[in-house]
Amino acid sequence: MNLSLLERDSNATATGTLLKRKTPRLNLRLKLGIAILAFFVIGSLVLPFFTSVNPSQQATYLKNLPMSGQHLLGTNALGQDIFWFLVFAVRNSLILGVTVSLCITVISTLMGLSAGYLGGWYERIIMLVVDAFITIPVFPILIVLSALVRGSPSFILIGLVLVVFGWAWGARTVRSMALSLREQEFVNMARFSGATTFDIITRELLPYTFSYIVVNFINTILFAINMEAALAVIGLSNVQVPTLGSILFWALNYNALLIGQLSWIVAPIVATVLLFLGLFLTSTGYNELSATRRGVA
Amino acid sequence: MIRLNNIVATYTTQRGSINAVDGVSLEIPDGIILGIAGESGCGKSTLMKVIYGDVVSPLSLSAGSVEYGFRDERGGEVTGRNIRRYWFRRISYIPQSSMSSLNPVVRISRQFVDFLEPAKNKAKVLEEVRAYVKQLDLPPEAIDAYPHQLSGGMRQRIMVALATFFQPDIILADEPTTALDVVVQKSILLLLMELQEKMRNTIILVSHDMGVHYQATHRMLVMYAARAVEYGDSEAIFSRPLHPYTRMLIDSLPTIGDDHARQGVPGRPPSLWEPLQGCRFAARCPLATEVCRQQEPALTEYRPGHFAACHYANQQAREQPLQVSEVRP
Repeated sequence: MNLSLLERDSNATATGTLLKRKTPRLNLRLKLGIAILAFFVIGSLVLPFFTSVNPSQQATYLKNLPMSGQHLLGTNALGQDIFWFLVFAVRNSLILGVTVSLCITVISTLMGLSAGYLGGWYERIIMLVVDAFITIPVFPILIVLSALVRGSPSFILIGLVLVVFGWAWGARTVRSMALSLREQEFVNMARFSGATTFDIITRELLPYTFSYIVVNFINTILFAINMEAALAVIGLSNVQVPTLGSILFWALNYNALLIGQLSWIVAPIVATVLLFLGLFLTSTGYNELSATRRGVA
Repeated sequence: MIRLNNIVATYTTQRGSINAVDGVSLEIPDGIILGIAGESGCGKSTLMKVIYGDVVSPLSLSAGSVEYGFRDERGGEVTGRNIRRYWFRRISYIPQSSMSSLNPVVRISRQFVDFLEPAKNKAKVLEEVRAYVKQLDLPPEAIDAYPHQLSGGMRQRIMVALATFFQPDIILADEPTTALDVVVQKSILLLLMELQEKMRNTIILVSHDMGVHYQATHRMLVMYAARAVEYGDSEAIFSRPLHPYTRMLIDSLPTIGDDHARQGVPGRPPSLWEPLQGCRFAARCPLATEVCRQQEPALTEYRPGHFAACHYANQQAREQPLQVSEVRP
């Protein structure tokens, strides 16, 4: 009796230490990615409070000044401070990317999970719409749309179009995950314990697909920033608003390379690459973290 | 008492419809462990679904009803149609494979409290759960784990804990030990029996393992090709089976000290797609005669509480040794 009690106790403590809640250890990639992102986010959100100058106001300063203490990256051919223009550009691009990605993620997750789990007519209709949107190419549509509104579409319109044409692919992927999940025994168990359809989707399916959704969210930020930049470079976005794309548009337009104002074109490229690197590292790092938590890595 | 009235459960597919359970009537007394035995495709699991009230497409209940013998708050009879509201409170379910029955990305503690009524205090319930799993020989910390951190036996114990936590009147267990090795199997069975003794509820245990039935059940239902062929006290069924199918099943079990080769039941169950005439076991039955092939026997009470559906379930037939002969095509 005593012996068995003792045994059980030692067993319990052994499992106890095994199961102790550990704060998940961030891996190097995730740390780096978050550090880079934090640098950009904090920098672009806080710095604008320290300037009273509107960066897109032309002829605020003398043209093409070299880098100096006054103008960290010099000024451009339009008499704008390149550094401050860049800060606002990063901020606007991030806001656009995150907002668009948030909308896309929410829509595609809801559509995908519900279509995959519910099936039937509902699924067929949703998938018809999804497939239609997948086959429509976004970029030409954006070009046509921008041309229609004479090269100065509002920033919100660009975001809206990106959302409308961007949600379908994610919905399809999430639906396929939900399709396999709904056959899983634990979904049945949840149903057997009286969970409603909404409960099952939010409490059983969502946690399962969560790490994918996070990674997809980050990738969609990339997609949105990229798409807007691509439009801006060819002058079809609203180039009056500073974004990573509109800097490049102006720099190319005023032949920044030829007039020797290198920082005008190099700075946004470096910023874009760094931002993308940060997002990429965060997404792969997060993937690894969630795999570790599931015990598969 | 749970009463099944002439249950006909139909699967509707593109090929046509098929009755996976075809006219099963049964009275299950309260406070026992009922075993349901039979080979794959005999309708065990479908019958469980019907009893649980989980009749969703492509399954439908073509005829019959289930009465659970308890009433709702307003005094109305609870039947298969509204049992859904009492899932996991008055009737619960232990699934076959604990490997996939817990969400792998959610901590077990959350899975315990996820679908409580919002009014309940989750932290308090969790404390009760912790105390409860300790009773089931699990370390209380186990509920803080993710499912993959536990062994198969521990996971099945968690499932048992989930299904019994609210002390339901009826627990359905669909092959609860199939995926486990024999040692763990035994401990889970003992746990179920112990809990049943304590709570005095009804457990319906599906298994194709006659050994499990012998160890754990009080009463047994033997099914064959969508029909109930024998129903009675487990002891009586094992010592004096009435139906030749049951006898052959029991004879196929190995016993210690007997080194004779075991005989299986030759042949295969009939396809439910074809129109069936006469006794469904006739083609494989060594006792079958012309009557068996023409007339379907009804489930009849031959001894008090011991039913069988066989034309020859009388004394004479039981004395006659079973000769497994050539199977008729």
